Order: sequence, then C-alpha cells, then structure tokens
Amino acid sequence: MKIALFIPCLVNQMLPDVAIATLELLEKLGHQVILPEGQTCCGQPMTNSGCFNEARNTTLKLLNAFKGVECDAIVCPAASCLVAAKENFHEFDNSPEAAAVIAKLYELTEFLHDIAPVESFPKPFPHKVSLQLSCHGIRMLDLASPSEYMGPRYNKMEALLERIPGIEITYPDRRDECCGFGGTFAVDEGAVSAKMGKDKAQAHAATGADYAVGFDPSCLMHLDGMIRRQNLPIETRHLAQILNAAI
Amino acid sequence: MSQTQGAKAHASQAEIFCRDESRVDWHSKALWVLREKRDRAAGSLPEWEQLRDLGSAIKLHTLTNLAKYLEEFEANCIQNGIQVHWAKDGAEHNRIVHEILASHQVKKLVKSKSMLTEECHLNPFLESKGIEVIDTDLGERIIQLKKQPPSHIVVPAIHLKKEEVGELFHEKLGTEAGASDPTYLTRAARAHLREQFLSADAAMTGVNMAIADKGAVVVCTNEGNADMGCNLPKLQLHSMGIDKLVPSVESASVYLRTLARNATGQPVTTYSSFYRGPQTGGEMHVIIVDNGRTEMLKDKILAESLKCIRCGGCLNTCPVYRRSGGYSYNYTIPGPIGIAVGAQDDDTNSIAWACTLCGSCSYVCPTKVPLDKIIFRQRRIKAESGQLPYGKGSYMPLVGKFMASTTMLNCSMSMARLGLRILPGSLLKPFSGAWGKYRELPKAPASSFEAWFKKNRS
Repeated sequence: MKIALFIPCLVNQMLPDVAIATLELLEKLGHQVILPEGQTCCGQPMTNSGCFNEARNTTLKLLNAFKGVECDAIVCPAASCLVAAKENFHEFDNSPEAAAVIAKLYELTEFLHDIAPVESFPKPFPHKVSLQLSCHGIRMLDLASPSEYMGPRYNKMEALLERIPGIEITYPDRRDECCGFGGTFAVDEGAVSAKMGKDKAQAHAATGADYAVGFDPSCLMHLDGMIRRQNLPIETRHLAQILNAAI
Repeated sequence: MSQTQGAKAHASQAEIFCRDESRVDWHSKALWVLREKRDRAAGSLPEWEQLRDLGSAIKLHTLTNLAKYLEEFEANCIQNGIQVHWAKDGAEHNRIVHEILASHQVKKLVKSKSMLTEECHLNPFLESKGIEVIDTDLGERIIQLKKQPPSHIVVPAIHLKKEEVGELFHEKLGTEAGASDPTYLTRAARAHLREQFLSADAAMTGVNMAIADKGAVVVCTNEGNADMGCNLPKLQLHSMGIDKLVPSVESASVYLRTLARNATGQPVTTYSSFYRGPQTGGEMHVIIVDNGRTEMLKDKILAESLKCIRCGGCLNTCPVYRRSGGYSYNYTIPGPIGIAVGAQDDDTNSIAWACTLCGSCSYVCPTKVPLDKIIFRQRRIKAESGQLPYGKGSYMPLVGKFMASTTMLNCSMSMARLGLRILPGSLLKPFSGAWGKYRELPKAPASSFEAWFKKNRS
C-alpha cells in the first residue's frame, strides 16, 4: 500500500524515534511510505480546553497537508492525536476533500490489525512487556475493550504483540486506569496528574516487566518522566519500536 | 448553585488534598474497591450491556416526552390521594416544603437520601425557620453532625476514617473515647436515630424513580431509614427532579437491576420501596423540581446528563475524583456527573477542566450518559462565554498561533531540544513549571523527525 505518515507535532519534535520506527516497520512490511510536508498540531490542546477558535488555523493547516495527497491510507502512531484530528477536521471543514482525508485516517495499531494485517513476526523479543492501554485509543478508537465494558473482550495491541516469538505480555494493576497525562491537564492540574502518573508508573514497574509498551507517545512521555523521577527499573517503548525490532 | 462564595479552583483544592499521599492512596483505594465490586456484579449478568442500552433508551424516550409523562404522573398521583407541587427552582422548592411543614406545626423533620435537597440547600433554610432537620442515612448523619456537605453522592462520608467517626460520635453521641469499631459505632447511631424517628413530626425523602402510569415514587435505601421515617409520622414529603420520571413499573425495574449493582456491587438495594398514597389519616406530598433541568434539556449534548440515576459509579471510577476528593469540586455533586450538571454554576471556572477526558465514567454509566462528551461540551460553552481557568484565556491564543506557524514551531522547538540537551537539569527545572516540578524533563533528540526524514529518505 501507499501510506502517508501523519506524525503529530509532539512525536515530530520530541520523539522522532517513534516516527522512525513506524516508518521502518511499514517499509519492512512492503509498504511505500511518504511524509506529506506542512504537518503540525491537530488542535487537541485547544479543543480539549474548550478553545475552538484557537484550534481552527492549526487544524486546517494539518488537514491541508493531506488534502489531495495520493495514498491508500494515512497512518499515525499516536491514538489520541488521531482521534482529535478526525474530530477536528470534521468540525472545521465539511468539504468532500476533507471527508476523503478523514476516511483514510488510521492509527498504527488498527492499521496493522485491521487494514493490512501482519500475521507473524520473525525475530524473537525475549522480554516481559507491561501494556499501557491509553484511554483515547481504547475508549474512542476501540483498540481494546475497556475494563468497564461487559461485552466481548478484544485487544488489538495484545493480538499484534503475541505474534512475536518469546515475548511475555502482562498488565499493570487497574489495567486501563488513566495515566494522568491528559494534555494541558498535566500542567493545569499538576498535583493530580503527577499522582496518577506515579501510581501508573509504579503499577507497571510492579509487574517486573522490562518495558511499558503503548500506542500513545504522549502518555508514554509523561510515564517516562514519572519513571525516571522515581528511578523505577522499567522503560517505556512505543508499540512501533517493539514491532520494528521483531521484523 | 456553587457551594461557597470565594471558593478556590479545583487544582488548588486538589493540590492541598494531594499533600497527604497516604490519605490519597486510602481514599483512592476505598473507592476503587467499589468499582471492583461493580465490575463483578455487572459481569455476573450476561445481559448487562443490554440493560445499559435499555436504561439509556427508556430515559431518552421519557425525556423526549417529558411533558406528557409529568402530566400523567401528576394525574395518577392526585387519584391516589397524593398532593403534587411544582417548583421552578431551589428557592420555590424550599418555600413549598416550609409551607407544608409550617401548616402542620412541624418542629422536627427526619430526612433520608436526597441529593436534590442538598442541591436546593434545604437544611439551612428550614433551620433558619426554626425546624430541626435530622438526616437519617448513617453517612449523611455523620457529615451532618460534623457540619460538612456530602463528599460523594452515594457514600457521603467516604472521606472520613472510622477513627474520625469514633471521635465525632464520642463528642456528639457520647460513645466511648477512642472507640472506632464500626459495629459498635453503628449500634450507637441506630439507638440515636431511633429516638429521632419516634419524635419526628414529618418525614422527607428523595426519589429514585417516579412512575408515571402508577402515580407512585420509588425510594431505594440500604438502611430502611426512608421507610422508618415515612411509616411513623403522618406527614410524608418526597422531593424529585423532573428527570426522575419513568413511564411504568416495567421500566423502573430496569434501573432497580442496575442502580445498586453499579453503585456498590449489590444485586439490589436492601429496601426498594414504592409509595403510592398517604397513610390512613395522613398526608403525602410530592414536590417536582426543575431548577435548571429544562434549560439543560435545550442542549442536545447536555440533555443526556438528565438520564443519570445517581448511582455514583462515575465517581468511583474517576481517577481524578479519587485523588482529589469530593470537596475539591465547587459544586454540591462532585466527580464526572457533578461537572456535567454543575459546570455552568461554578464561579471558579475550573471544575470543567478537572478531568483528563479518559472516558471511563461514560463506559461505567448504567444509562450511558456520555459524560466525557458532556464535560468537553461544558468547556466549550465556558470558553465561548469567556470563562476560562488557569490563564488559558491568555495562553491558548498564543499556542494556537504558535502551532499554526511552521517557522515559529520549528525554530523554538529546535531551541528547546538544544536547551534540554546541553543545559543542566538544575538550570532548566525552575523554567519547566508543573511538568518539571513532578516529572523528569524529556530526553531531547538531536533533531526533529521531519529533518531526519529529509536527510535519510529524500
């Protein structure tokens, strides 16, 4: 497939390793990958603050970067940004061109699980990983069934990871409780955000896993800051980094 | 109405609550235990998700046809000998209640479980008129003796430890000093409350469901205190919001199955009493209150908050509520549902932002109130009327401009990366605000992905 990468601003500026792993992984899987120019913030910090006017320009700028780009799918390695981009594109632009972009938007996990499924990974990854089920990915994007939900259970991240030989998968206590990042919440409500992050970091470390693995880079960056502050014996990794190492 | 004038923003209150970390852990765990019990109870019913769908659909149907059902309910109540009163707001509700009580020379009123009377601030109003009000639910009596508002809508004294209750009972009810055994304390409260029931002139309760086709109200308690109250004095009053209406007994039974399971993990409340008329020779009054609910119905998204059956499940699961406590919210009802129905009355303009939008509450909710979407909507309404917290009003336009400008974004972010790489942490921390106060700063990469891509792929 021809894939256009949607690399959210935080990943582009602060976590390029996540984007590089995503690119390499998709290329190894035989896809043709391009990076449309002019990408910026999806507007989520503003719309989540209630400030829609302030979100308009940046959202439309991001949308324009994808309009008319020839590709089969637009893939993003950040669940929360992907959800916000979908909603904000729709909010600020009702044109058929915008709808065409929205229809091609996929988060990396759902792309690899639903759209271009990967059946197995050749290289073993002999480590224990504790899965970070970030909120927007599971509750707004259906990447896994939330713990509150009593219907059928599913988990696309686990389903992908268990195709790697030698990997051991575990979960923290209160498996999908929010890590406390919440965008501007992390600074506006510093004390509660930090306590949530501390609890989550400790829960991951308590599993004895080598890595806390997730699909949302912003939550992972917050967790990484909490882990290092407390000197916990665990590191964060994005799903793309684990999958890329296994292929 | 907001709880206190000159109240502090949620973040400031929460910061104070968070200073005692072991207490935060205790509070968070006590409520998480309720969430776990809820999961077990809900999971034991194969039809749980169907009940949620049904619970949502019945409420939406009733709210859509509210005028019809309210009139049907009133007509059937009157036929059953119940006197029905209508109150447009809290003040009118309090006036009506006082008039009824005054006309019967009531000196002492026993009250049970009503968040609506908290919302209307009925107790202080009646006390100012010389009527003694005794809350008879154990948790409510504890906080009444402590002169505190509820910190949770189902377990109102959840913020107090048993030792603190023991101290309070020693002072107010004469229990032994230092005694904190829950059974001992509960027995003392029971003896104390019996005296109150026997000497009360009237009883008042909230309403869990009002059944339109029967002209009856349903009151759910675990302690039987509502029944003890209503069956002793000759005068009984029930206050209800217009959102409590359901069409029939069959529809009420859906909520009887989900309410207690979602609240505490019990299959059903110990007492689920249907009141459909006065005692022989007595009087039964139902006061139907609007107090802003009709206004909420006008907004398609906010309207869904009126589906709530006040089980408290959203509070128990809320990671922010559990770590900031009920008193950090500047509204009578704390937690997600409190934000959903109270954000516009919050003069600190902060409770709408006391949420990470994690969405756990919306999935826990037995009537599928889309709490995260409502809170998101409340923020927008607040922002569009210029009521932003935490300096957002001044920094958000700058962030908006910054993110929309490639040059500004790229230049300043490469400066930031450089700073993070070469400057010592001790120099950076004072400038990193709340992020660096609680967390290590991110390890900065050498370049952006865009720059890497240009170098390596084109």
